[in-house]
Amino acid sequence: MAEAEFLSLLSEPFMQRALLGGMLTGALGGVLGSFAVLRQLSFFSDALGHSSLLGITLGILLGVNPTLVLIPFAVIFALLVSQLVERSALPTDALLNIVYSSSLAIAILALSRVETYRGGIQQLLFGDILGISRLDVVVIAAFLVASVIYLGLSMRAQVLLTLNQDLAGAMGVRTRWHGLAFVILLAVVVAISIKAVGVLLISAFVVIPACAGRLLSRSFPVYVMISSGIGGGCALLGLLFSGLANLPSGPSVVMVQFLGFLLAMLVSNRIHSNISGA
Amino acid sequence: MSVKEAVLQVHDLSVERRGRLAVEGVSFALPAESDTALVGPNGAGKSTLVSALLGLLPHASGRVELLGQPLGANGCLPRSVRAQIAYVPQNLVIQGLIPVSVAEFVGFGFDLPGPRLPWRSGKQRTEAVFIALERTHTCDLRNRLLTELSGGQLKRVLLAFCLVRPRRLLVLDEAKAGLDIHSNEQFQQQLLELRRQEGWTVLQVSHDLEMVRRSSDQVLCLNRKLRCSGSPEATLSEERLGELYGLNMVSQHHQTHG
Repeated sequence: MAEAEFLSLLSEPFMQRALLGGMLTGALGGVLGSFAVLRQLSFFSDALGHSSLLGITLGILLGVNPTLVLIPFAVIFALLVSQLVERSALPTDALLNIVYSSSLAIAILALSRVETYRGGIQQLLFGDILGISRLDVVVIAAFLVASVIYLGLSMRAQVLLTLNQDLAGAMGVRTRWHGLAFVILLAVVVAISIKAVGVLLISAFVVIPACAGRLLSRSFPVYVMISSGIGGGCALLGLLFSGLANLPSGPSVVMVQFLGFLLAMLVSNRIHSNISGA
Repeated sequence: MSVKEAVLQVHDLSVERRGRLAVEGVSFALPAESDTALVGPNGAGKSTLVSALLGLLPHASGRVELLGQPLGANGCLPRSVRAQIAYVPQNLVIQGLIPVSVAEFVGFGFDLPGPRLPWRSGKQRTEAVFIALERTHTCDLRNRLLTELSGGQLKRVLLAFCLVRPRRLLVLDEAKAGLDIHSNEQFQQQLLELRRQEGWTVLQVSHDLEMVRRSSDQVLCLNRKLRCSGSPEATLSEERLGELYGLNMVSQHHQTHG
């Protein structure tokens, strides 16, 4: 793509919305991911993302805007799965696998029978960040602000809860309340990010920036900030790269995130070898 | 010491765990500044009782009062009371990834429950953290991550976490599990000193009956029900231990200790 053509693309409102929305989604994924990864909820967010297809299908079948159905669906689904995991003696990863593969299968089967559905399955699987509206950007920004305020004000509770649930409870943290609040927040964020990122790639937005951030941090608030920065930065770079190379946006962002993770590994190894050598 | 001065009072407490009664009809009181050991065989309900006393598990029946305030069925306590309680869990399994430094962690011990602006550290908090680290000889660890500490270092940091704010009650659930002999002695000595200096009332679950004999004022022998309670001399007799643990344990104890 010629330089002039690329610059003209950047001046398009849809592209500007995509860049802003992508950056905000990436930052939001980084913030929540930094807690989700430590609480071993990475696979949970993956399962939630895959199962969201069932929520979208439900919206299509009911003739309602899928995004409107997806948020309550994701919240109810997340709460039910949390209860199932809490009460079952089976390993969590096995249970989540059963839940997400079954819901994905049901969704695909149902979608294959819906003739009126005009949206492509590929769009649902990999997202369509170029299609996000001004309202979508506002909603994502609002949730980013809400997440930062909630997690910031309850940082002590969140860290103690992540360290040890009993210790947190003994120190006055309402463990059940905060645990549920986080799962609900994660579900809503997955639901509102699906349109931009897609069902298959949403967990990358939650997991990769947080893992990269962890490799570069030795303090909890710094870790959350770095994860968020990596999330937002990689999304921006990925979208610019996709525009420049005319490649699909979601996978481009994930590739940049992956490169960011590799870079964080290199930097972390360099820091550790310097510390050991000193 | 009168009952009015008790830091913790438990009346006819029963607790269910996984659908069965794990603790049944237990009553006792912890006098202020006393050191009480909770002993009993594995599966006797010691950790369940501790969890219930801290409000981590609901009560099936009975009543618990902490510093004169009733513990709600859902574990609710006024913030002012909760701030005076500290807990050292049996196994603080630090998630392999969590990047929390020793100083950050001890600082969280200073903060009261509830919302707080994360950047408002405050001079008082910083000083309290420094003093707690100094008194537990962990100043050199302040910038280390919790995940980088040995078992003994982590236990000392947990003591700093308890010490960073004035407390009345310290609950330890087999806090010395997994420590080697040297770390165990060091931890116990430090705990003893701090208890005397701070006036802590201590309740600790322990399997180390020799240590219990040496340092405890009161022993609670639990095996689902409270089998006996009183001074170490009265409760840790051969006969009582035989009843609590079974005869095999007593003969093993004899073989080990002569």
